[in-house]
This record gives sequence, structure tokens and C-alpha cells, in this order.
Amino acid sequence: MHIAVCVKQVPDTTEVKINMETGTLIRAGVPSIINPYDHFALQTAMELKKAHPGIRVTVISMGPPQAKSVVQMGLALGADDGVLLSDMAFAGSDTWATSYAISRAVKKLGKVDMILAGMQAIDGDTAQTGPGVAQQLGIPQVTFCVKLDLDGKKIIAKKLIDGGYETVEVRAPALFTMIMPKEYVSQYPSFPEIHASLKKPFQVWSAAEIGAEPQYLGLKGSPTQVSKIYPPPQREKAAMTHGSSQEAVEKILDILRKEHFIEE
Amino acid sequence: MPSMDAISRNLMLDSLRDYAKKNIPYDLIREKDQANEFPEKILKDMYDHSKLGVHLLMVPSEYGGVSGGTYDIYRICEALAHIDLGIATAVFATFLGTDPLNVGGTEDQKKKWLERIAKENLMVAYAATEPDAGSDLVNLRTRAEHVIKNGQLVGYRITGNKQWISNGGVADLYTVLALAPGGPCWFLVERNMEGFAPGKHEDKHGIRLSNTAALSLDGVFVPKENLIGEVEGRGLLQAQAVFGYTRVMVAAFGLGAGWEAVEQAVRYSQQRIQAGGPLSDKQGYTHKLIVPHAVRLEAARAYIEETANRLDSGEHGLQTEGAIAKYSATESGNRAADDAIQAFGGYGYTRDFPVEKIKRDIKITCIYEGTSEVLEMTIYRGRWQEHLKTRGCYYSDMADKMDELHGRNPAVGAKASALALRALAAVMEECRAQKLTRHQSVTFSLGRLIAAAELSCVFAKTAAKDKYSESVRFDTQGWQAMSRVFAREAALRTASEGLALVLGSGEGSAALSAGVNMDEVQAAQKGMMEDMDLVAVKLKQTFKAR
Repeated sequence: MHIAVCVKQVPDTTEVKINMETGTLIRAGVPSIINPYDHFALQTAMELKKAHPGIRVTVISMGPPQAKSVVQMGLALGADDGVLLSDMAFAGSDTWATSYAISRAVKKLGKVDMILAGMQAIDGDTAQTGPGVAQQLGIPQVTFCVKLDLDGKKIIAKKLIDGGYETVEVRAPALFTMIMPKEYVSQYPSFPEIHASLKKPFQVWSAAEIGAEPQYLGLKGSPTQVSKIYPPPQREKAAMTHGSSQEAVEKILDILRKEHFIEE
Repeated sequence: MPSMDAISRNLMLDSLRDYAKKNIPYDLIREKDQANEFPEKILKDMYDHSKLGVHLLMVPSEYGGVSGGTYDIYRICEALAHIDLGIATAVFATFLGTDPLNVGGTEDQKKKWLERIAKENLMVAYAATEPDAGSDLVNLRTRAEHVIKNGQLVGYRITGNKQWISNGGVADLYTVLALAPGGPCWFLVERNMEGFAPGKHEDKHGIRLSNTAALSLDGVFVPKENLIGEVEGRGLLQAQAVFGYTRVMVAAFGLGAGWEAVEQAVRYSQQRIQAGGPLSDKQGYTHKLIVPHAVRLEAARAYIEETANRLDSGEHGLQTEGAIAKYSATESGNRAADDAIQAFGGYGYTRDFPVEKIKRDIKITCIYEGTSEVLEMTIYRGRWQEHLKTRGCYYSDMADKMDELHGRNPAVGAKASALALRALAAVMEECRAQKLTRHQSVTFSLGRLIAAAELSCVFAKTAAKDKYSESVRFDTQGWQAMSRVFAREAALRTASEGLALVLGSGEGSAALSAGVNMDEVQAAQKGMMEDMDLVAVKLKQTFKAR
């Protein structure tokens, strides 16, 4: 079985600031990290690999040359090979153009049974690229998965739905987007694992190498245009009440009375 | 060893920070600090090659390590210092203890011992210092006597005492400096050897998470294969060969811990409202307690990185550069930490806030691996030779290069740096002509001025580059403003302190006044306030309130 895991390098959003005048992100000095949901997707693939011998895992990312970092992280965590889609032709791609490029790369990989991705990236928060890849490849997708299991030819996915979980069975090939369960603890590779990952197969593919047509890539191939980025207006600080439920409710009622939201 | 690729290095840094975030909360550090306790489990984890394997940086990959270069080790040391200097020291001691093997070991010794260090996660200690021999190792008292069997040398019996040994009470393996009949040598001593006994864990001012102990060696027998290099008398050379880069490591400690204190102060200053606004908006606060320290630490960073890169590209020794790097980074870090307490006010004086601990911890960086005063002497000695060899042109040539740089890029403070270097050249020449270096105090002071002037030169050169290194967290505008602030300070210090030095111990002269060029130094101060304002803003942007 062959699993492809899609990972993205994102700015650590807890450190990003917005330039209010230009409406752009201030990226200087902001560390880049692996998208946390993708990290969970990687770890899920590694657990499947551990439980079912014979699984091969390929890590795929798209981005500038330095995005090799997230692919190497995947290799250090145990993936077998890595691919980075890097080419000026990809620059400015929105989720649709990106999912087109990734789907082309998956085709080039040959037989892929499962594609894993994070449910969304913490920079754009669109949750569209994973589903887009499934759509472009014409394969089923299961989104918001917290756990994956294999049972013979079936893949059993536990996915989050409103108010609970749903268990879904699906046959390969299929795409899964992963959402971290609360108790999940991300694993980081050790120094020797990182060192050894340099020896694993790693390739950089250009647009031409994956047979992607230029008109479907970059700004040209992107139906979405971001016109402005701005932080949401700050909410006023909430007043917190403390004590027993009875006391807290009394205090809230007092406030509501004072502000004339309710009358005696 | 050349440094590794940037991606691998940064992945290692991420793994280290992630480990610390999950396993070393401040409450735990605080508890261990108060109990004066070595955090054994944490260090075991950090040395465990299936978890982290941080000690493998010093081990070449052919022996199971990850072949870290000086630049890699500097980055890791800086990150360790952000976590806790005691823990950092427990890692550093293994780096240091492994050094004599790396430098002087035979192929068989490296294979045997480095592989064991890597595979068995051995914690190592470096045992050179003695009760009466600190920086002055010539006073070495520990003796290694020949043990002869059937007319053949089979080993050595080591007897003596070692003092202030980091990891002394907890290491598995010790590299011990002792005087053999053929001269000083390094020996590999295992913890379980008969006659070997570590003393109690010292009750120290800071780095209380680092185990420090005396060692007693009472006729400890080591087989002759445990003599590093298997030739007697090379111990001091082997020790000196690595000072360049071991001092870069301690420099990184000063840098990391100093920056940790500054960062915490910057974040705090944005939340603390006094007299109608946050402290971070008040010049009287930022321009005294924060900005000068950030600037000096970044100047030290530029110098550390240049030295690390030179070592990684194969240059040997660089003892003067290592001394300048360590002296500047640790003195600046120490002062930064002191003012960070001030920046926190009463809170900074309590143990609830980490700056109090950082201040206690960081003091050691001005003491171990060469005290600041020994370094001032080392710096003076190294550069005095250059001054004589070049007939006084060493710094004036450097100043010419800075003037050229200023022509190409007037934004990095190169002109002020040129003034600092010319003033230094004039002061040194005057010291030579009037034989003022007969005063020890003059020589040490020269060491101080040399460090400041050279840092300004390297900072300006680095700030003029198109692309900054991965460690710089400021944009071009911010880092160049820092370089300008530092160069102005260096020019003013070199000129005024240099003049005071000569006038205080000898006579003034027209050549001195012309060389120091106080008028130009004063003119170069223009724009200082605006630049300090800019740096204060950049600091706020980079280290947001949490």
C-alpha cells in the first residue's frame, strides 16, 4: 500500500502581525512551521505504517525551496520518500490551482491508495485544498477524520460530525483530511533521525515534470484573489464572574439590571 | 567539521524547543533551582538518541553522531541557554569533555569512545581545573605515574584533585588532565574506576540545575590505551586547540540567556501601564534598560557567527576571535540580565519571574571557560602582536575598509566604526611609543576597546549584506539601525576611554589627538536618538506581549 501525505509550511500564526496600512502580513522574523493538522496527518500515516508492514509513505509539499523543511521533517519521522513541488510557475496559486498541481504530482507517483492531508492550514484556514485534490483526481474523500484503520481492503475512518463522531468505510483510493483529537501530542524527530533523513530519496519537481499545464497554475489558474487582509475588530473585554453558579448568576442578573437589559 | 545544512539544523532546533516546551516548564526549573537539584530525567531524555540525542552534535557521523559544525553548535547552545543555563551547561560539559578525543584521539580511541558516547548516551565531564590551577594550567598538580609490568608500560596511576567540574557528580566518563612524566596529558577515566570519587554537588549562586563537583583521584589506574593520543605531553596543546570554538559555545550561552532576559522584558513592558501608557513607549525606560542591551547582543551575534563560519570553513585556532566573541556576548548578556530585573521592577526581584534566575545563572558565563579578565588579556595579547607586526596598520587598514563600506552603504554605521578603529590604532600606537603596556591595567583596558571596535566592524559588514543569517529576527531597517547605534557607542568609547587610558598613564600628544579625532567622533553621534527610537519599535514588533 502506498500513502501520500500532503504537508504545508506555514508561518507560526501566533507570531504573525498584520501591517494595517498595506493590509499584508508582516513575515519578517516569523518562524515557519509545519501546519499542525498536517503533522497529525503524517503521524497517522506513520502509525498505519507501523501497524501494517509493507506500507510505503511519500510526503508531498508545494512551496519555495525552503519548504523542503516540512518534507524532511516527514522523512525524519519515518516517511520513505519525499517530493517538493517547487517552481515559479506555482507562485500565487490559490487552493484550486494548488490542488491541481498536487493531483498531477500524485498521478506521477503511480499507484497511490490513500492521500492524507490536514483538514486545513492555519494560515489560510480554507480547508479546500485537500478536498480539491480528491475532486481533481475523481476519488472519494472523507474530511475531518480523527482516526484511520485498515481492515483488509477497507479503510475505516472515524470522522468528526456535529455533536459526535461518524465511522465511515471506504475503499482505496481515497483522500482523508485529518483533524487533531484533543489528546494528541505531536512527535518531533530526534537529532539522529533528522541526520538520517538526509539519506532518504527526495526530489524537487517542476510544473513541467508533473505535466501541469501553465494556464491552470499560479495567479492565472487561480479563481480566488485576496484583495485585503485585516484583523477582526477587537472585542471589548468580557466581564468574568466567579463563585458558585447561584452567586455567578446573581452577579450577571445585577449587571443586566444595571444596564437595563432586564427590568424588575 | 563544516556545519550541516540549514534545514537539518533548524529541524533539530525545533525538536529541542518542542522537547523543552513539553517537558521543562518554568515551574519545574524553579523547583529544581530552589532545591539545588540536577534534573536527571530531563538530561537522560536529552541524551537519549531515540528521543533527542543532543550530545551527538559533537560526534562525527562515522561514529554514530550527527557531525555538528561550530555554527550548528552555536545555534543549539543559544537555544539551550534560552531554556536554562544549568541544563545548557550539563550538555556543554559533554561537548567539552568530548573535545580532547576529537582533537587528539587516535583513530582506534575515537572509534571506541565516540561510538560508546553516541550509542550508550554517555554523559561526559571535562576535568582540567584544580584548586590551585584555573586559567593558569601550568600549576597543574594532578600526577599520572607510569605503571610498569615486566618492563613494559601498561598504564598510569592518577592522583590529584579537580575542582568545579561540571557534570562532576553525574558523568559516566571523564576526560582528566594530569601531569605524566612526559608532560600534561588527557586521560579517559570511567566513573566506576577504583580510587575515583566525586565530591558533593556545590551550592552555587546560579546554574543550580548543573551538577558541579570536585573530583578526588587516589591512585586511579587507567590502562595506557586511555591516554588520549597515546603520546605524553600534548595535553595543553590539545586543550588550547579548541578554545576558539569552546568559547564560541559559551558566547552563545551569554547571547541566548541575555536575549531571553531582554525578550521577557520587552514583552512585559508592553503590558505594564504606568503614568498613562505602556513602559515600552517610554524612552527613559527603553533607551536605558532595553535598547542598548539588544544592540550589544546583536553585535555579539554578528561576531559569533563570523567566527563560527570561519572555524567551519577550516581556519584553525582563532583563539583571539573566540575570546572576543565570548567576552562581548557574556558581558553584554550579564548586563542585559541585570537591567531586565530593573525593567520588571519589584516583580523582577522575585523568583516568580524568570529574569531573577537568568541574572544569577548568566554570571557564570563571565567566569567559566576563561574569566572576562583573562579574556581581556588574551584579546590584548593576540592583537598587540598584530599591531606590532603590521607596524600599527592592523586597525587603520580595517578602518580603510570600513570607510569604503560606508561609501557603498552609508546606513550600517561603517563610518563610526572606522572612527573607532582609527582611534584604537592611535591609542595602541601611543601605548607602544610610551611603553604604557607595562601597566597591566592598560593592557586589559585595551582588550576591552579592541573587542568593542572589532565588533562594530563585523556588525557593520554583516548588516550591509543582502541577506541576513537565519538567526536574525529583525528586518534590514531594524538591524542596520542597531549596527549604527553600536558603531556610535564603539567610536565614543574607544575615543574617550582610549584617551583617558593614555592620558592617565602617560602623556598626551598631537598624533594621539589627531588619530582619535574627537570632533568626528562627536559628529558621528548625530541621529542616535532617532535610531534608538526605531530599535525600540522593532523590538516591540518582534517580541509581542503574550
